[in-house]
Amino acid sequence: MKKRKNSKTASIVKLAVVLVLTIVIGILGVTGMNLDGRGLYKLKSWLPTTDAANWPSALSLGLDLRGGVYVEYSAKAPEGSDVSFDSLMQGTINVITRRLTDKGFTEATVQRIGTDGIRVEIPDVDNPKAVLDLIGTPAKLEFKDAEGNLIMDGGMVQTAVGGFDSNDNDYVVQFRLTGEGAKKFAEATAANIGKSISIYLDDQLLIAPTVQAVIPDGSGVINGMGSQERAETIAAQIQSGALPLVLTQQKVDTVSATLGDDALTTSVTAAIIGLCLVMLLMIVRYRLNGVVASWALVIYIIVLFFLMAVIPGIQLTLPGLAGIVLGIGMAVDANVIIYERFNEEVRAGKTIKAAVRAGFKNAMSAILDANVTTVIAGIVLLVYGTGSIQGFAKTLLLGVVTSMLSAVLVTRFLMTNIANLGIKNTGLFVSAGKNKEVQ
Amino acid sequence: MAVKNRSKICLCISAAIMVIALVMSLTGNGINYGIDFAGGMSMQYDMGGEYNRADVEAILDTLNVGHYSVGQQGQTEINIRIRDINEDGVQAVQEGLEKALFEKYPAAKRSGDVSYVGPVAGATLLRNAFMSVAIASVLMLIYIAFRFDLNSGLAAVFGLIHDVLMMLSFMVLLRSFIQMNSSFIAAMLTIVGYSINNTIVIFDRIRENARKLPTAPRVDVVNVSIRECLGRTINTTLTTLMTIVALYVLGVDSIREFALPIIIGIVSGVYSANMINGYVWAVLEEKKRARKAAK
Repeated sequence: MKKRKNSKTASIVKLAVVLVLTIVIGILGVTGMNLDGRGLYKLKSWLPTTDAANWPSALSLGLDLRGGVYVEYSAKAPEGSDVSFDSLMQGTINVITRRLTDKGFTEATVQRIGTDGIRVEIPDVDNPKAVLDLIGTPAKLEFKDAEGNLIMDGGMVQTAVGGFDSNDNDYVVQFRLTGEGAKKFAEATAANIGKSISIYLDDQLLIAPTVQAVIPDGSGVINGMGSQERAETIAAQIQSGALPLVLTQQKVDTVSATLGDDALTTSVTAAIIGLCLVMLLMIVRYRLNGVVASWALVIYIIVLFFLMAVIPGIQLTLPGLAGIVLGIGMAVDANVIIYERFNEEVRAGKTIKAAVRAGFKNAMSAILDANVTTVIAGIVLLVYGTGSIQGFAKTLLLGVVTSMLSAVLVTRFLMTNIANLGIKNTGLFVSAGKNKEVQ
Repeated sequence: MAVKNRSKICLCISAAIMVIALVMSLTGNGINYGIDFAGGMSMQYDMGGEYNRADVEAILDTLNVGHYSVGQQGQTEINIRIRDINEDGVQAVQEGLEKALFEKYPAAKRSGDVSYVGPVAGATLLRNAFMSVAIASVLMLIYIAFRFDLNSGLAAVFGLIHDVLMMLSFMVLLRSFIQMNSSFIAAMLTIVGYSINNTIVIFDRIRENARKLPTAPRVDVVNVSIRECLGRTINTTLTTLMTIVALYVLGVDSIREFALPIIIGIVSGVYSANMINGYVWAVLEEKKRARKAAK
């Protein structure tokens, strides 16, 4: 008898600790306090009135919620080019990135999609046209001899790539000029052997290598870069006079920040309403177990947002937000499966404790299968989707895995400890009248 | 057992809906493709008060943009779509339109996205959509065949294709209310992954009951199993529908474009899981039995 009392006390303590933790972390999340002092985890914006700017920096917002420009280009190699497409692609991406960061768009992302696609995302833009022009506008790049006479401009640079010279044991920039450029450069190198040729980017001196030999065919090397990073930076800067690939706009999408804000606010409101309705339904239908499900749901949301904030590369997009809202409804599915089994066992005359055990045992395979299929669909979306669809896939996958763990582990923990309390009145869990429904 | 096998009637109802959608598509009233799929240019303006649509159309006519449509959104907002346009034309059209429009209606302002989608992007998207559903279906078939048996896998994927076709059919039937954009792909895959849950929970029960009643007709086993799972099916469907309907009611346009197909898919998923899939399995199993008996 004494032993049972001890386990009962232990269960009360455990439940109380989890309850206090849930409430404290939940409140910390909502009030937006920093758990680690770096703003890594705050949930301030769960309040529907708060604007997007107040979201924690660690939880990055997609363009569709934040506002900005999204462009997709398809790239084609210029005619007669014999340089590998991959290196031209990398060069193009470097140049676009440089043009954007130079103008202060430091949060812009430039990504390759598929073989010949480039996706550019620039948040917080109020004049999309100016930004798109910027991507297409070449920087002013000039080659001048020692006396300051113009030899040629950046338009005559075909490619410039960073590389490694094993003879020199140093990093170099390899460049190739267009036919006209090659002719001019051959003359200039012949006239300037031993002297330097300076390269200016937007009237700033970039580099002034000394001419060591005549370069007749427009294909030259600048050595002495010292590091791979410097070689690639200089190459990208020389390249910025012209894009190595011919780009065609495939898709342009501009989202105003107000529109993103609206979307965010309404989705968060919908999430809160949906959450309340789900909790209400669960409590009406499953009584004390419904309370457990609601509790587990709160823990699920806290954990999900924490994971979204700490896992790099996860962006909250509009479909992603919809995925979370949908996930709230789905997350209780595992609870429902367990409870329906539990109710059957209790009605069959088992004790609460035995019903908990049997409920979990019988429900596990269905829960596992149901979640694996959703994971399969999520992975397919991740592989075949682009942009915001991938954002959705990531949140969906994260949500499914988190919800299954919370439903199974958290619910089992809570139910086992509640069963330990020795409640005899099964009416707290199952209504007797419900038997009729089954017959 | 009052109702033995409802699946035939239900299949007929589904088939009728799909045929209506197909006929509508063939007669030029198919899915209302949004800009993501159809390509072209889309702009939104808040006219700031009363306006005359003919004015907007007159401006577009002078710009020689070819095929265009001017849609009304809410009280004072318009949505302009231009079909055949290349990337060079986009800026010129936008500038020309805004110059004339803001002159005529000084209170007007841009109120939403300006989007341009090239023809290639739309075609790629369509191909990706088809591919992803096909690949997901095959993976589901393999997984369920592995966890249950081949007939269960076939029956579940049958239901899954049914659900996707129903979603597409309703996109045709509701073409005046909803456009199909890239989020539809996410909605389809979500349904492919999620609505199969109902089927799996029922099949899990069927497997259990089939062992208990090895000689009973398979249809009876299916009926018993579906009834035993009904409480779970109803509750889960309600919780999911509650959240997604809240999203639809409160959401902005792009959220609705995602939420409505999901709602259709969830309802169709419950319907097929309870009314069709189990019976497809039963028919397949009875055939297997007959083959065994014949040997």
